[in-house]
Amino acid sequence: MQAKAGPLEKKEASLGWKLILPTVIIIGGLIIYPVIYNIYLSFFEVSISPGKPNIFVGAENYVSVITDPGFWRSFGITILFTFLTVAGGIILGLGVALMMNRKFIGRTIVRALILLPYITPVIAIVFAWKYAFLPIDGPLVRSLSSIGLMDPGVDLINDPNNAFWVVTFFNIWRNFPFVYLMILSRLQSISKTYYEAAEIDGAGDWAKFRFITLPELYFVIGSVALLRGIWNFYKFDEVYLMSKFAGTLPIYIYEKAFIGVPQQGVAASIATLLFVVMMILIGYYVKKVLKW
Amino acid sequence: MVGKKRPLKTIGFYLLVIALVIFVGYPFAWMLSISFRYDSDAFDHGIIPKRPTLTQYKQLLGFEQSLRDQLSTEAEQFLKLIEDLPEEQQKEIVKEKGLLKTESSFPFIRFFRNSLFLAGLSALVTLIVAVLGAYSFSRLRYKGRGFIQRGVLIVYLFGGTILAVPLYQIFVKAGLTGNGPKSFFALFIIYIVQTLPVSLYMLGNYFRTIPYSIEEAAIIDGCSRLQTIFRIVIPLSLPAIVTVYIYAFMIAWNEYLFVSIFIRPYPAFYTLPIGLNELFYSEHAIWGKMMTASVLTAVPIIIMFTVMEKYLTSGLTVGAVKE
Repeated sequence: MQAKAGPLEKKEASLGWKLILPTVIIIGGLIIYPVIYNIYLSFFEVSISPGKPNIFVGAENYVSVITDPGFWRSFGITILFTFLTVAGGIILGLGVALMMNRKFIGRTIVRALILLPYITPVIAIVFAWKYAFLPIDGPLVRSLSSIGLMDPGVDLINDPNNAFWVVTFFNIWRNFPFVYLMILSRLQSISKTYYEAAEIDGAGDWAKFRFITLPELYFVIGSVALLRGIWNFYKFDEVYLMSKFAGTLPIYIYEKAFIGVPQQGVAASIATLLFVVMMILIGYYVKKVLKW
Repeated sequence: MVGKKRPLKTIGFYLLVIALVIFVGYPFAWMLSISFRYDSDAFDHGIIPKRPTLTQYKQLLGFEQSLRDQLSTEAEQFLKLIEDLPEEQQKEIVKEKGLLKTESSFPFIRFFRNSLFLAGLSALVTLIVAVLGAYSFSRLRYKGRGFIQRGVLIVYLFGGTILAVPLYQIFVKAGLTGNGPKSFFALFIIYIVQTLPVSLYMLGNYFRTIPYSIEEAAIIDGCSRLQTIFRIVIPLSLPAIVTVYIYAFMIAWNEYLFVSIFIRPYPAFYTLPIGLNELFYSEHAIWGKMMTASVLTAVPIIIMFTVMEKYLTSGLTVGAVKE
């Protein structure tokens, strides 16, 4: 079929380009271009009134970011947040997937129920958690303090020291169903004969899990960790709507760019740094862990 | 399958399942419970409402005016004086004194309408662009399609956090900010951008599973390429198309970052995420209303998901949802 381009191939190519054109315009103009424009902006003091021009400041924005301890604090918080939420989500998702892979009474309902945290709109679920976490009156706080696990007067959400943990917990709670679904669909495709053979060889539950299930799941867990890592690193709405005081980098950028006296050039330089760090991490991860 | 030999293990397993159900359902149970209570009962102990009522739902959906809405600010101070009386009696006294006002302090229906309009329309445009684009790079051969395909995958990984500043600057320069309708339009375009990559990716994957021979037969019968798209490919991929539409709809329904950047000064154009969040930090935050609004915000999505569960669940694992 790979002959020289005849009239039919030419027609096909031209139709191909026509159909893809709107996509190329939208993605090129409103995703690729903004990413490059962002790098450009990061070298300017960006004016917020349309009449005033931007002022070129060289690397000044970067210097002010790198010398700002607040930035490094946020950066550390974000790394920890990403690590904990990915690890927590995978452990929980794996456990639940293993449970749901067995037959039991009521499995269909439980399986449907598990998806709720993930599919419910964020805005529809944050208030319920905020209510549960209210000091003194919140039902969760009341329960936990009645068994002596915490002091009922502690404000979990509006105290920056606790907010991080609330936000981390919320992210794991919300996103473990995604991990669970991905792992479950892989689990269901593992051939039963492996387990039967292992049983004949006298393997126990743990040995079967360790030497059959885990190796079979390696790739899917690796990919899920990558996706969740990227998404959680950039995560804004889930974190911000749960608590403004969580202090992760996306919140830091948002507040620099849009709250108070906007410093959009500085925000652009943080976003650029974030982007570069992310690309390096992804490249390394894809090579070493996923072995592409 | 659950350990036939060891009943203790079976019990342990079911306890684990119960723990999981509680863990997942906890906030939903409280949300429902509070939404069926009067505001004054919001902090009653126990999850079963002692005096269940539909009044919050009626008020949010506009069948009934809340007392608070009927009062002017001065009148609210007056309400303080009579707050120990039962609600029915309070209403009577207020009516006698003629303290009613008309503007709603909890415009849930307006937020809902804005969200529905924005999410519904942007998802539709995304779908049309994505069907054509995905067909192009999954079926037609031309130079550069491999590049475009990989490009879509990479773009999939860019977060809104990185795009926020440059997109804002671009829309300011283009004159698409500064009043409500313009900003709303800017948001409409942004939601198309936000939902396009995932839609392309999912549809492309699906189109590749349709046997090419069906299309060939249609072409031999004299259909043009465009006709095969509309007569063969689209009907055959209807489940996938509905799935993608729902995903695009959900992303727009959920979006908070850009709406808070573009729409904050224009309350008339608030969508549910920003509207509810602003109300939460205003004086009108009442737990009963917040929970009822939460339930009503979640219900359309949960219904969509339940109806299309089979396809949506597999869609989740095939394409994953961009967040």
